Amino acid sequence: MSKALERIKRSIWVFHLNTGSCNACDIEILDALTPYHDAERFGVKLVATPRHADVLLLTGPITLESLPKVINAIEATPRPRIIIALGSCGSGGGIWHDTYSTIGGVNGLLKILKERGVEVDAVYYVPGCPIRPEALLYAVALIKGIVSKKREAKMHKVE
Amino acid sequence: MSSTKPELEKYYKLGEEHGVPIYVDRDTVYITTPREKLVDIASKLFNEYQCTFRTCVGTDERPINGFFSLTHIFTDDKSGLYVLVKTYLESDDPRVPSIVSVVPGADWCEMEARDLLGIEFTGRQQYRLVLPPEWPNNVYPLRKEVPYNYRPPVRGVSERVTTTVETGVVPIGPYHPALHEPEYFELYVEGERVVDVNYRGFHVHRGIEKLGESRMTYQQVNFLAERICGICGFEHSTCYALAVEKASKLEVPERAQFIRSIVLEVERLHSHLLLLGVAFHLLGYDTGFMHTWRIREKIMYIAELLTGSRKTYGINLIGGVRKDINEEKKLKVLETIRELEREFKSFIETALSVPQVKRRLTGTGVLPKEYAVKLSVEGPVARASGINRDARRDLPYAAYKYASFKVPVYTEGDNMSRILVRVDEIFESISIIEQLLDKIPKGPIMLDKYEIPEGRVGVQVVEAPRGGDVHFVITGRGKPYRWRVRAPTYSNIPALKVMLKGQPLADAPITIASIDPCFSCTDRILVIRSDSRREWIRLAGVGI
Amino acid sequence: MSFIKRALRPVEVIIVAARVGRATIKYPFEEPLISPDFRGKIEIDPTKCIGCGACVNACPPNALEMIESEDKKTLRYFVGRCIFCWRCIDVCPVGAIKGTREFELATNDVLDLFDFIIHSKTRCNTCGKTTSETTRMQKFVLERAPIAEVYSSKCPECRKNSLIRAVAMRKVGLYE
Repeated sequence: MSKALERIKRSIWVFHLNTGSCNACDIEILDALTPYHDAERFGVKLVATPRHADVLLLTGPITLESLPKVINAIEATPRPRIIIALGSCGSGGGIWHDTYSTIGGVNGLLKILKERGVEVDAVYYVPGCPIRPEALLYAVALIKGIVSKKREAKMHKVE
Repeated sequence: MSSTKPELEKYYKLGEEHGVPIYVDRDTVYITTPREKLVDIASKLFNEYQCTFRTCVGTDERPINGFFSLTHIFTDDKSGLYVLVKTYLESDDPRVPSIVSVVPGADWCEMEARDLLGIEFTGRQQYRLVLPPEWPNNVYPLRKEVPYNYRPPVRGVSERVTTTVETGVVPIGPYHPALHEPEYFELYVEGERVVDVNYRGFHVHRGIEKLGESRMTYQQVNFLAERICGICGFEHSTCYALAVEKASKLEVPERAQFIRSIVLEVERLHSHLLLLGVAFHLLGYDTGFMHTWRIREKIMYIAELLTGSRKTYGINLIGGVRKDINEEKKLKVLETIRELEREFKSFIETALSVPQVKRRLTGTGVLPKEYAVKLSVEGPVARASGINRDARRDLPYAAYKYASFKVPVYTEGDNMSRILVRVDEIFESISIIEQLLDKIPKGPIMLDKYEIPEGRVGVQVVEAPRGGDVHFVITGRGKPYRWRVRAPTYSNIPALKVMLKGQPLADAPITIASIDPCFSCTDRILVIRSDSRREWIRLAGVGI
Repeated sequence: MSFIKRALRPVEVIIVAARVGRATIKYPFEEPLISPDFRGKIEIDPTKCIGCGACVNACPPNALEMIESEDKKTLRYFVGRCIFCWRCIDVCPVGAIKGTREFELATNDVLDLFDFIIHSKTRCNTCGKTTSETTRMQKFVLERAPIAEVYSSKCPECRKNSLIRAVAMRKVGLYE
């Protein structure tokens, strides 16, 4: 499986999965494919069905109505599969992390997937509200191994 | 009495005829009526006085006075007045006659009130709209005793929507390459022609209205309102701030109102260019898509320069704005806008003369004028069918009274006229930005001290890129008591049934995209599903 | 002639494209075009923060949270949930939060996205329990509103009791 993971890093085909977001991150995904930012330099292509995809771009806090459809789409993607959780809604639930109608982002979804026995090979988090197209290109470059991670946790104790 | 005395006369006459009290406060007329007279008054306002129906709001006022209440919001565009018709309902038997026979556009908002509050409507067929299928039956989320973070146990198993296998059914969605958002259209076809449309939406319901009444304070709701929709977010936040300022009678500094109007026009430019690009892509003309979005990058840079972020600007607060414009930014904005106008003009004439674009858009997806009036459609969809309505001119707000602009109106009602209305509005917006930047006064941008009293009502209509957006606020202590949002796409989707009937299947995606649907604005409230029988799944933007 | 001119109208887009040339900015090998006002991640300065919690009240998505335990108060900043509105910078009383223009925050481990600042709570010198104030918060208050030394290092319960005793001694003549 890890050899298959290395092979897909050559050219990444993405499927855009909107689980109930406000659309700002989705417009920025489309913006990354326009001539100004040009994601196709990295071999990224937007495909029409999850069966062709390597990477799922997940936006939005996952709402109760769209949860069964999201699980169907993830199960339909062949292994190895990577999820990129975009934005404040995807990474941590966003401004509605505890309302009655949402699950709370990709962390809640991973728990449900584990119960059903569906495995995901890697999960990437991209904060931002909405994300810049350059931040998405940075995440794609991170998957391919061109740049290295800049972010790490900080802890400080005050006497 | 204010200077609109002749217009107010007819409302006083209406009150005397039916024996109901009338109260006028600046530009709002309040009518309180018992439930028996509601249909007559609504019929008189809609048919005789030619008012536009906007939405209806249900409120749980049991902590205050022991009743539920239902408010219908109309606007009188020729006189610039808001008309609110309020009915009180008993708390153990909340029934009210439905006005759908008189005003067909009131269909969805009544069902929303039923789903979120439990108000029953007599004289019509009722169905579930907004809540998900696993939702328990007697839990009404907007009642005050239900907490905002109550979560039922989740199952995660999807169910089939249709059970009939007849003529041909073409499902589009919920995840389809032609759409950005999850929504589910079912088109029933016979051969190549579409005979019926079934829509199931509300996948984006996130519980915004309940959240705004519980965890948030007044200033935090601005940021929540901005994330209702990522494309037209700033006008939601401005409309909320204007409604609260109107309810508390605050005098916002003039410079702040000018800055709000300038950023609203910048948002309109970016939204129309986005839609033109998507429409070209759906027609197969990808060159148009790439060039239009390349031109749009200039607007995103201007927005970032003026407000601090490419989208979801976050500069609105109650009492003013957070960021100022200095001389250097003003010159840069003017220079970029003029460059953009030149480039766009030279490109759009070429793009609209391409044969596949011109022939596929002309004559398809027609919406005749009488249907447009009955269903109360909004925005460019209404202006392309011959209705001359624009909230910036009829009910002026912010700094629009200092700018002069034309309102484009076409009469054919097909896809091409909807696109041409938006192209004309782009040029008008550029002219408005230049005029306002010229006249902007000096002064502070934020109020120093302000106080928001309890129990006041504020209504405001703002012209979003997609139509008129209504916010209704009842103030409480530290946070709103009731907040209702009705986005413009909410009224435009039922018109799809008329537009798609009899059309060939190949024209369906471009017709759906030409009303510029923004489902995140529409689905604010719960998504309700009906049972597995095939019924019309209506979108209820319940916000009640 | 006019028929040919009309048919060739759409081809004029080649002229438009040739005039523009190449519009791509080759990020990450070139610098991206960001305006000086861009709102990125925030930086909390641990030497200035007093642990008052004003930013926690003002944050709309609860990205800043105060976690209280027996003798510590921890301010936790979750970058994943932040909406980059900079309201916390507006309301901080000592100016400990600063805004940066950073946006390259992608990672594959969610635990990388947390920042912690741990404050210790003050202890009452009469009963020994901890109050909910931090040491720096006490110093901040004392600089602006001097309270008598005998009260400022007690918890609110003991402060109330000793004040009642002092008033009783003076008015009623209680000597215990």
